[in-house]
Amino acid sequence: MVGSMRQGRDTGFQAPLWRAIAVYRIAALTYATILVVRNFTHYERPMLAWPVLAIMAGWTVFTTYAYANPARRRPPLFVADLLLTAAALAASVPIVGRVALEDGKPTLAVAWHVAPVLAWAVAGGRRGGIAAAVVMGATDLIVRAHYDQAGYTGSVLMLLAAIAVGYLVRMAEDAHNRLQRAVELEAATRERERLARDIHDSVLQVLALVQRRESGELARLAGETEAALRHLVARHAAETVDDRSEVDLMTLLGPYASASVTISGPADPVRLPAPTARELAAAVGAALDNVGQHCPSGTKAFLLIEEEPSGVLVTVRDDGPGIAPDRLDEAAAQGRLGVAQSIRGRLTDLGGTASITAAPGQGTEVELRLGRAGPKLT
Amino acid sequence: MVRVMVVDDHPMWREGVCRDLAAAGYEVVAATGEGRQAVRIAAAARPDVVILDLQLPDVSGVEVINGLRAEAPGVRILMLSASGEQQDVLDAVKAGAAGYLLKSAGLAEFLEAVSRTAAGDTVFTPGLAGLVLGEFRRLAVEPFDKTAPKLTERETEVLRLVAKGLSYRQIAERLVLSHRTVQNHVQNTLGKLQLHNRVELTRYAIEQGLD
Repeated sequence: MVGSMRQGRDTGFQAPLWRAIAVYRIAALTYATILVVRNFTHYERPMLAWPVLAIMAGWTVFTTYAYANPARRRPPLFVADLLLTAAALAASVPIVGRVALEDGKPTLAVAWHVAPVLAWAVAGGRRGGIAAAVVMGATDLIVRAHYDQAGYTGSVLMLLAAIAVGYLVRMAEDAHNRLQRAVELEAATRERERLARDIHDSVLQVLALVQRRESGELARLAGETEAALRHLVARHAAETVDDRSEVDLMTLLGPYASASVTISGPADPVRLPAPTARELAAAVGAALDNVGQHCPSGTKAFLLIEEEPSGVLVTVRDDGPGIAPDRLDEAAAQGRLGVAQSIRGRLTDLGGTASITAAPGQGTEVELRLGRAGPKLT
Repeated sequence: MVRVMVVDDHPMWREGVCRDLAAAGYEVVAATGEGRQAVRIAAAARPDVVILDLQLPDVSGVEVINGLRAEAPGVRILMLSASGEQQDVLDAVKAGAAGYLLKSAGLAEFLEAVSRTAAGDTVFTPGLAGLVLGEFRRLAVEPFDKTAPKLTERETEVLRLVAKGLSYRQIAERLVLSHRTVQNHVQNTLGKLQLHNRVELTRYAIEQGLD
């Protein structure tokens, strides 16, 4: 149990909890001292109560300092805390005496004995808290030898408190981690935006100029570099921390943009479940590959992404020579529409449709349509 | 002679554009790298066409467009941008820019765009057509906006073909329309968006008590 305590997880947010435990310990010590003073005369060995109280006071001071430093919050300290507190509790048997205890007089460590349970709950979560609460609760019951309703209530309350504290600590830890991630992401985004501005102010302008002034290979290379950079600048890490389930289709398709591929679509993100979007992007990639394979070089391709109330429509059009309608049928009959089949297959799997239209002189158009309520791939 | 003003903060690019325009027979009346300055000198320079880089260091593209239209009524603005930030392009078009071109466009394409802008036509890239289509679709599903403009079926059809990279000639051929009609349809879509934008701004002003 002790081994599972994660000392490493401590970050700033735990410090107030440890301070709260220290305050509790001091308040409980004061309460226990008052009770000892009031019940002093009923004790079997009254003089021995003072050394025990002194040890408790010393331990209170020690733990206040020890727990304050994350480096010292290690298993030996937690075990020692639990054992020493249980010992102080057990010392009640010889000092207060069986008779007085059975008479309902409080133990020497009353309320003070809850402190290590809280410490375990903070360090070890719910499970740590429960383990410590069971140990301390059993000790308390045995010491008091009061096996009735009132006797159990104290231990049960302690157990519930341990569970609640353990749970709260876990929640606070999650919230803290999430905040941490958000802060990191924001910093990364800001850095990216700065980079984007720099790229825009210098590199893109020069690349565009090269394209205008030069011709041939250099212009083509400049164009491709420019398209790649433009995509990098325009669509930065728009995906947020807690939005792993949906992605922007435009972001996924962005990398396809080049000197020969133009992408058009709405300004707002087109959100789709991540697996669906990836599959759709792969189908678009297959369609573009097809253009590259079957059309003469220099053919331009155009991607149009449209979001309609009923679904998403992606059109891949090329301005190549197109296919005569009879040739399309012929090719299909001979099973030579391999790529077209694979595109259709992907869309059918997604619950969508793919249609291919071609006209001589007007290029080929592949329409990929996906219903909004399409089944999600999981 | 058509009077042209060039607004671009990149000196090398600005000079290149000015040279190209002069060589093509345009009168370059002003060239500046700052949006505020462009607005200040617009009234005196009286340009017919402004070639405007969308990303200027001092003010946003929309602010420059508003300023230019106030100082030089009737001025036609052709936007250029290197990075194609989608929302910026859309906002600029709604504010009244007459057309949009990526800086990577070839010289011939650029000069044709300038001459079309000067002639009062709109200059659409496939990318801009996609943005305008998306904007109309967004407005269509906007709940409380009863004044939202709508595209006719024909206009939608034409815009989609522009977005798919067809030339006006190819579109005219496919839809059996005249070149001029295709041009008008495209221009209308932009006109509706700009009108809606002005209505929205006016309504906002009245709501805020700025009338």
